[in-house]
Amino acid sequence: MTETIIKLENLTKKFGNFTAVNSVNLEVRRGETIGLVGPNGAGKTTVIKMIAKILRPNSGKILIRTNHSDLQDLRNVSSTISQIGFLIDIPNFYNMTAYQLLKYFGKIQRYPKDKLDNRIDELLAFFKLSEWKFERVRNFSKGMTQKLGIIQAILHDPDIIILDEPQTGLDPLARIEIRKYLRELQSLGKTIFIASHMLYEISEICDKIALINYGKIIGFDTVENLALTLKTSELNCLLLEPLDAEKILPLLNRIDERLSPFLDQNLDPKISKIPILYNPEHQGLKLYFNGKNESKGEILKILVNEFESDFTVISFTQPKTSQLERVYSQMVEDSTPEGPIKLKGVDIKNEK
Amino acid sequence: MRNENDFFIGLTPIFHTIIFEMKKQRKKLYFFTMVSILVAVLLSYILQLFPDYLLADTQAEFFSSGLSFISFITLFAACLFFSGIICSEFNKRTGFIVFPKINKYKLILGKYLGNLFLVIFIVTVYYIVLGLFGFFYYGGPINIRIFYSYVFAVLYVIALSSFVTLFSSFMKNVNITIIITLIILLMGFNIADQIVTLIYADTFEPLYSLAYLGNLITSVLENPFPDPRYVEYSFGGIGPGGMGGHFSFGTWITPSIFMGTTLLLVYIIGCFLLAALLFKRRQL
Repeated sequence: MTETIIKLENLTKKFGNFTAVNSVNLEVRRGETIGLVGPNGAGKTTVIKMIAKILRPNSGKILIRTNHSDLQDLRNVSSTISQIGFLIDIPNFYNMTAYQLLKYFGKIQRYPKDKLDNRIDELLAFFKLSEWKFERVRNFSKGMTQKLGIIQAILHDPDIIILDEPQTGLDPLARIEIRKYLRELQSLGKTIFIASHMLYEISEICDKIALINYGKIIGFDTVENLALTLKTSELNCLLLEPLDAEKILPLLNRIDERLSPFLDQNLDPKISKIPILYNPEHQGLKLYFNGKNESKGEILKILVNEFESDFTVISFTQPKTSQLERVYSQMVEDSTPEGPIKLKGVDIKNEK
Repeated sequence: MRNENDFFIGLTPIFHTIIFEMKKQRKKLYFFTMVSILVAVLLSYILQLFPDYLLADTQAEFFSSGLSFISFITLFAACLFFSGIICSEFNKRTGFIVFPKINKYKLILGKYLGNLFLVIFIVTVYYIVLGLFGFFYYGGPINIRIFYSYVFAVLYVIALSSFVTLFSSFMKNVNITIIITLIILLMGFNIADQIVTLIYADTFEPLYSLAYLGNLITSVLENPFPDPRYVEYSFGGIGPGGMGGHFSFGTWITPSIFMGTTLLLVYIIGCFLLAALLFKRRQL
């Protein structure tokens, strides 16, 4: 098991009588990508600000491992400046050119002087900002400013990258670029910590998700494990050819009958009234099942073997995003300011 | 040896911040340099073109009249360069980008020194222009007292800068910081000095006042240095309506060189240290 690189111990931050972060415990291991997800005002940014030493916690500790040493209290560590890259909130820059800003940031974070210009060019090119290198940031669009914010966070090639809402203000193409870049960073073994509302981005990139509400961590695990708390899980089954309109209803009844032990017959009507749906646009079936891993295999076997004459299955997936969306909404709805309702299967403190 | 290297490596962010800050403020620098040249030329050259305006008898008197605006230039320059030095990081939220990258003490020291070099440059330009005109009208050598005056002008502008930096460390908004510091420096200290002198006369010297300490810039040009430093003016006679009487008021002309220098240094160090501590504690 990889070593813990950041550990939050009973971290608490109060603003007057309001408790923004309430006894948060969290461990991030080297090389992991962690998503911090929660509604507005849940305490995501406050947690990040405390790691960045912008805010002082009222109680609790932030422990950090620098250069493979032991975990140390962040208050006593000055070398974090070169080890962590931060993007906090919507970035606001001094009104200088992108090049002047990045050059300054690189220098104060002691990035090798002889490589700095190349590094700046490389990152500006990747994020398609090369043409704007000598433009003042005042002339940048919101998306371009956000990209520059990401660049400044990774410019000095830190081991740990902490990003707060990195996708804000970005167009879909830019989001894809950033996702691609984050995957590259993952492959280089970087530890990434992302706070975001965008569940799709989080579910695509992150190894683990920490759900936060009312300043408390209400769930921390992989999407799959978090989904175990759901009574219902979703499966998408794409078919080679569209179903004949006349045969759809009887066929769905037959499938329902056959898969009945695995399907969720008491499905929450807010999700769907029936556990099997056919979507002609996507040419696929959507099945709501009991969420058990062994059920997935059985369902696939039955669909492939027993309905061979009716359709051909070309893809059988469990969509992460919609699961995360449902876990998220369920947990956020269930949590209270006093604390989370203990959910079965959720390792809240990640004490493994 | 290694410790020494570490020490110098630790200082490099300050050096880079100084350079960056000077680049950042270069528009203000151009503006104030132009203003200081224009004022110096106006007082030293343009006014002499009017036939009614008599050229001072000595070079020292010429410098003294030419320096009558230096306190305004230094004051406005200090306010505009230093008012946003800390509060803009919070108000404009640039601190989110910068604070995680550099120790706050190094950041404030770098920003402070960067701006300081610029305001000192502006003062220097003013003195150079004045010195050149002094040489033009009176020939050489240049009166050595102008250099003493320059030293006090530099000390004064640093003290003003520290004072404004202190305000910037707890104020929320740049514009409000400018307005408040200008009011205090232009009016507050002068009003307080008048009240204190009216009440205590020569028993209490207003050494707390930056405006009063700034008088050293011109009084050091006088030879000999003003003594006594407290002067009383008396008026007597019969007034309108047959009312008569005797009226007198006193004023402190200048602090002593030793006390003035010491207090300017106290202002410089005290205000800056306090500002740095408040900045370190302030949360974004």
